[in-house]
Amino acid sequence: MTNSARPGAASRRAFLKGGLAAGAALAAGSAAAGEQVITEVQDWNRYSGEGVDARPYGTPSQFEAHVMRKNVPWLTSDVVSSINFTPLHELDGIITPSGLCFERHHAGIAEIDSKDHRLMINGMVEKPLVFTMADLKRFPRENKVYFLECAANSGMEWRGAQLNGCQFTHGMLHCVMYTGVRLKTLLDEAGVKPEGKWLLAEGADASSMTRSIPLDKALDDCMVAFGMNGEALRPEQGYPLRLVVPGFEGNMWIKWLRRLEIGDQPWQQREETSKYTDLLPSGKARRFTFAMDVKSVITNPSPQAPITHGRGPLVVTGLAWSGNGTISRVDVSIDGGRNWNTARIDGPSLPKALHRFYYEFDWDGSELFLQSRAIDSDGIVQPTKDDLRAARGSNSIYHNNGIQTWHVNKHGVIENVEIS
Amino acid sequence: MGFASAQDAALGEAVFAKCKACHAVGPDATNKVGPHLNGVVGRPAGSAEGYKYSTAMATKGAEGLVWDEATLAPYLANPKGIVKGTKMAFAGLKKPDEVSNLIAYLATFAQDGGKTSADAGAAAPAEQKAEAPPQAPADGQTPIQPAPAAARGDGLKLGLGRLATEDEISAWDIDVRPDGKGLPVGRGTVATGMGIYDENCASCHGDFGEAVDRWPVLAGGQGTLQADRPQKTIGSFWPYLSTVYDYVRRAMPFGNARSLSNDDIYALTAYILYLNDVVDDEEFELSNENLATIRLPNEANFIEDDRASEPHNKPGVEPCMKDCRPGKAEITMHAAVLDVTPENSENDDAPAAGIE
Repeated sequence: MTNSARPGAASRRAFLKGGLAAGAALAAGSAAAGEQVITEVQDWNRYSGEGVDARPYGTPSQFEAHVMRKNVPWLTSDVVSSINFTPLHELDGIITPSGLCFERHHAGIAEIDSKDHRLMINGMVEKPLVFTMADLKRFPRENKVYFLECAANSGMEWRGAQLNGCQFTHGMLHCVMYTGVRLKTLLDEAGVKPEGKWLLAEGADASSMTRSIPLDKALDDCMVAFGMNGEALRPEQGYPLRLVVPGFEGNMWIKWLRRLEIGDQPWQQREETSKYTDLLPSGKARRFTFAMDVKSVITNPSPQAPITHGRGPLVVTGLAWSGNGTISRVDVSIDGGRNWNTARIDGPSLPKALHRFYYEFDWDGSELFLQSRAIDSDGIVQPTKDDLRAARGSNSIYHNNGIQTWHVNKHGVIENVEIS
Repeated sequence: MGFASAQDAALGEAVFAKCKACHAVGPDATNKVGPHLNGVVGRPAGSAEGYKYSTAMATKGAEGLVWDEATLAPYLANPKGIVKGTKMAFAGLKKPDEVSNLIAYLATFAQDGGKTSADAGAAAPAEQKAEAPPQAPADGQTPIQPAPAAARGDGLKLGLGRLATEDEISAWDIDVRPDGKGLPVGRGTVATGMGIYDENCASCHGDFGEAVDRWPVLAGGQGTLQADRPQKTIGSFWPYLSTVYDYVRRAMPFGNARSLSNDDIYALTAYILYLNDVVDDEEFELSNENLATIRLPNEANFIEDDRASEPHNKPGVEPCMKDCRPGKAEITMHAAVLDVTPENSENDDAPAAGIE
């Protein structure tokens, strides 16, 4: 049915037209005092919008189109084996929207129909088993919120300030709620033999990504997840199945998980020997540095999110997390670590999950050196970058959890700096 | 709360006859084949003094399992299903009434073997429970009241999935360890590997493993690990040759994985050894018989995670809050100097720390 066929439509249009003309005359004649978005009727206030099925899978507002993952082209040779970064400066709370969780692929996104996906358990087990996705969804499930941080997050900053934005310095990080089956449940189903000490997890993508994981960790809190934030995993996060290894480096959270093997020693795979090992000044390299250390960063204001409102009330906010457990405290400094004030943690405080903190104060318009410092439930204090370099030199690439400094000038423009 | 009437306890005493051969209660009770059960309702699993528990039961206790009506009931109904590996050979009580009556009976015994208030049909032994460790799970994200489903998944096999066939396992299980476990039968020489390399690898890794653009460098770099800009190659950094075979077999050539034969990969691996001066004879042949015997130069330089020993990782140090550093902060380095941030970059000079 069209408008013109509807009784009364013509007269309604005539009325609308008259109303528009009257409005124009009003604007031209005596301009109302105040903002036009208030004093004038806006299009969205007059005309109907799109109907319910126009966006059957909802997307963010067109006015938020700048909020997106971005990569750093010079980091890698090819986007197929590369990384992009979560726009932390645009986000709040502790849950990362699924479509903004950073991506790290070693051979692109595997597109797998869940009907064609299988999970195999083999090696030192009583019964080598194969599960379909339907099988997996018949086991008891659990829902857990965990952060995932790439071990190389902030890795480009070991030699000093390089990237001007927390998206790039800290954005290999996300935190979602996972739905899945406790890994122990599946291993019990296969029956791990007593000599089993390590687990190899393998992906189905074209890199057949593999990592060795101590069996103690596998039996503790690891999950085999098929859901994130209430829906199926996104393809770029391993649809239909990924491993969740709470508190451990992101590379171990095998995506497109297809196989779990039990063995009595680690497999010394490429990603745990030539990569994800931390080179020290002595020429020795640490390996199996699994846990992510206590860390925090101020996400806003930050270089990509300058202060545009001038002096007066200012909200400083950021994220804190630790692979050891919860965050017990976050301190914020506005003078480059000379003096510290305890920030306010708001929202849930869950182990091995992001924590959101706020520090509100009246900005007097003077230069600031913003820093945050987290303390975790094990009582470990986030170190300075100088502390880390003193212990490890500058060639470790991984596990840089040092305190970040943002310089704010009088105009509110912000820069990533290192300070005395 | 529907717990522990004196009548239930009396009926439970009859049920306990099935347990007496192995378990004792009362003032003179000692550990027998099984642990004594005085105060078992309210005590952590695996905690009877002097009794040698199975690893499975000791682990349960360490994980925070405390015996109460809710946790004892499924265990008594199906001991091996709930605690896989328990030493208790008893098959389980099939009648729910027997289970609840037995628990009511056991609840009448305090830790010293004397009678508790539960014996009088009063409330549950709250004082005992208060002594037990809190049931809050270690990870803090589990509800305090465990849902029945959570217990179900714990050691109880559901019979889901099917047996993997030999052919399925061999199709997917291609991992190779440093000790040679997993190596397929095969062989290939340096000279053969050179041709395969030129055709499949050189376009990214360079004619001599020196790499094109930011693709991984495969050869050279020996003696640079302590340098300002270390070059981490197979010859200078990788600890094990098995990793080369394993990785090429599962992931290379990039974009055409699993396309090379096992012999091709032996030949390629031999050629990479040659590029790194680990072997110097073009006729050298690598095979499943000798691969695990070849050592890469940097194997000894890998150490275990000792971050906990670093000064800044000492727990419990109260950080400074006031006047922590002298003078005003001065900028020593700007990110803007390198100007490599994507949005405003006109400078393509890439820093060293790339990602592969």
